[in-house]
Amino acid sequence: MGRTVPTITRQLNETEAMLQTFRRTLRRGDQALLDGLLASAHRHLAAISASGALLPFEAALLAMLLEQARRIAALEEEIRIFQEEVVRLRDGKG
Amino acid sequence: MARVEKTGWLMDVYTRPSGELVCWLLSEDGQRWLLPMDFPVTFYAAGSLAVLRQAWRFLRGRGVQLSRQVRRDLFHGERVVLSATLDLPGRLPETYRRLAQAFPVLDYYDADLPLSVRFVAGTQVPLLGRCRFETDGQRLLGLQPLESAWEMQPSLPPLRVMEIECDAEPALHPPQEIVIRCDRRCYRFPLQPLRAFVVNLQALLGTYDPDVILTRYGDTWLFPFLSEHAPSFNPNRDEQMKVEFRRERSLFAYGQVLYRGAQALLFGRWHIDRCNAALFAEIGLTGALEMARVTGLGVQEAVRKSPGAGITAMQMQTALRDGVLIPAVKQQAEATRTLVSLIRYDRGGMVYQPLVGVHRHVAELDFASMYPAIMVRYNISPETLYQRDAPAGLIPRTLQPLLVKRLALKHCLHTLDRRDSRVSDLKARQTALKWLLVVCFGYLGYKNARFGRVESHEAVTAISRELLLQAKENAEDMGFTILHMYVDSLFVKREDTRTEADFLPLAEKIQAETGIGVTLEGVYRWLVFLPACRDQRIPVANRYFGVFEDGTLKYRGIALRRHDTCPYVAQTQLDILSCLAQADDPREQWKEAWGLVNQRVRSLQRRQAAIEGLQMAVKLSRDPQAFRRPSAAAQAARQLQAEGVAVRAGMRLFFWFTQQGVSVAPPAAEEVDWDHYARLVLRAAGEILDVLQPVEKKQQYYLPLLK
Repeated sequence: MGRTVPTITRQLNETEAMLQTFRRTLRRGDQALLDGLLASAHRHLAAISASGALLPFEAALLAMLLEQARRIAALEEEIRIFQEEVVRLRDGKG
Repeated sequence: MARVEKTGWLMDVYTRPSGELVCWLLSEDGQRWLLPMDFPVTFYAAGSLAVLRQAWRFLRGRGVQLSRQVRRDLFHGERVVLSATLDLPGRLPETYRRLAQAFPVLDYYDADLPLSVRFVAGTQVPLLGRCRFETDGQRLLGLQPLESAWEMQPSLPPLRVMEIECDAEPALHPPQEIVIRCDRRCYRFPLQPLRAFVVNLQALLGTYDPDVILTRYGDTWLFPFLSEHAPSFNPNRDEQMKVEFRRERSLFAYGQVLYRGAQALLFGRWHIDRCNAALFAEIGLTGALEMARVTGLGVQEAVRKSPGAGITAMQMQTALRDGVLIPAVKQQAEATRTLVSLIRYDRGGMVYQPLVGVHRHVAELDFASMYPAIMVRYNISPETLYQRDAPAGLIPRTLQPLLVKRLALKHCLHTLDRRDSRVSDLKARQTALKWLLVVCFGYLGYKNARFGRVESHEAVTAISRELLLQAKENAEDMGFTILHMYVDSLFVKREDTRTEADFLPLAEKIQAETGIGVTLEGVYRWLVFLPACRDQRIPVANRYFGVFEDGTLKYRGIALRRHDTCPYVAQTQLDILSCLAQADDPREQWKEAWGLVNQRVRSLQRRQAAIEGLQMAVKLSRDPQAFRRPSAAAQAARQLQAEGVAVRAGMRLFFWFTQQGVSVAPPAAEEVDWDHYARLVLRAAGEILDVLQPVEKKQQYYLPLLK
């Protein structure tokens, strides 16, 4: 086959393997957070690959940020619903 | 005998030791003909004129007609060539070999083509195609086609089939008895004394005169055994010919090590070894005939070779008809590329990671034969690259009729009731064509393909990625959520869509927008996308299971699909899926599914499972001596070697897990490692069920079973 460049999945896996010393030095709780961040980048492999970047980890970082933004938006929405509920209860409409 | 004209079918062509070509024909009156025919063949050499002159002198006086011609090379344009024509086609390989040895600097063309491909291109009579022929009983005097290879309902020759099987797998135990089935009769013969067996076999061949001999282990054992111990036995219809043996080999293709057993080819009838014919289990005799009809490769070759050889043969036919030279050795190397260019263009199809979990009312939309359709629609061929408005290239012209025929067969299948007697034949034929279309894309980028060019290969994937993005945008514009996209298919859902009719407008819109046919594979009642084993948060492409609205299951990437899963574990996983399929939501059946797992694990722990269901099958990835660690496959390989069996990379080995390691012979119940099989069942169950429930609930069911 004509493929010479490794796939984006393989490149990310290799980068993660390179980060193992970094990960090991983190506190146990932080290690789990890092694992979550790295896993979130895997949801956007197609977009990272499509970016055609020489250093795909830059696009992977953007994908992690995107997942964080999505999580924040979801939490904001939950807070809004809770706030509305609080206001409703406070006004005695519950 | 006076000249007679007959109608019938062209079955095969081959050359006799004298070098003359022989046609095997079957006339409508049931008569079988083996008729020699005049069929001169030509090959070409190109290069510096001084060397060509020397080559001319080398060939002069060797029964070769020589001339100077100008012919077209697909990559170099017009070239001055030395044309060498031989009256006896069987002499060409030796003449070419000697010339190439004496003048290695020359470029050679049309020198190593399969004879049948030359013949089909030259006479326009497809193999297995109906034809009219004229003979005086000694030679074939004329041949005209009455049918094309692209006939939707080709007439079928009335074949006589003989089946031969032995009572054991010869690699493990010497067979004692041979079973022969022919014309609804069954004969059993002891192999020893051999003389009596050979006399009986020869008598049956004489009585039934079969066109096809279907065997198990005919390639790797029966015919080599008979050739060694009964050299006077000749199973050919053509008595002037001997059985042609080809050596076994291991090769690396499609990312894996493959093993091709030795081959035993016959003349005037076909021999097909079910255990050594790559696609035969899937496409059967009907599919094999279809493959031979469209590719021009003889039936015996077509069933044993990879579909890549078939697509190459079809490209050769197109080139021969167009007068394009076919290089014996590919001369083009990939051009120098920058790293940025490689990163930008050397990419495969688009894969959108799935949203892990359970989804209901999901539709799967597929682009029909996406890559070949792109090649045809966008005129992608090595010679049309970087050109606007170029005439249709060699690759699109080869693929166009194949694509049309397969889509027509598929359409025909959709219109028929599942119980219709024509369904199995149509399925076999369309599957045979599907495999040709599947490999045609890979061959465009394959470095040794005669008409391959990696830039064309990359163009196809670039267009496919663009089309898939267009499909995604169309779906999102219509309010659908994209759950997963995988190269040529997409999985979508929307709150208000339930039935096929609800998804058809989307399929039609994508088809109109992209110009490539889109089919609705079906609507899933529910579909589960699975995460990676190492991390439940990481999605994995093309790993899912689901049930369509009509109750049909579909699953990809799980143990059930793997060849190295033993039948007991595979059946357990299938039963779990069937159990889940009873509900509108698989989570509702979770407890019942674990009950089933419990039952299967318990029956292993009580040693009640049948030994045959625990047999493992593993393909050997390297030669036994190359293994560094004693894996189960390596242990099995060494046991077989110790028993005197020749084991090669790519072979499929069968064994059982035992308390001592593995055993290639069926072990006694007390020797089996039942706990190991219980763990395999639990792993396969967890693969499906873990994603359906939270961790704490899983442990409630899972942990007691491990004790």
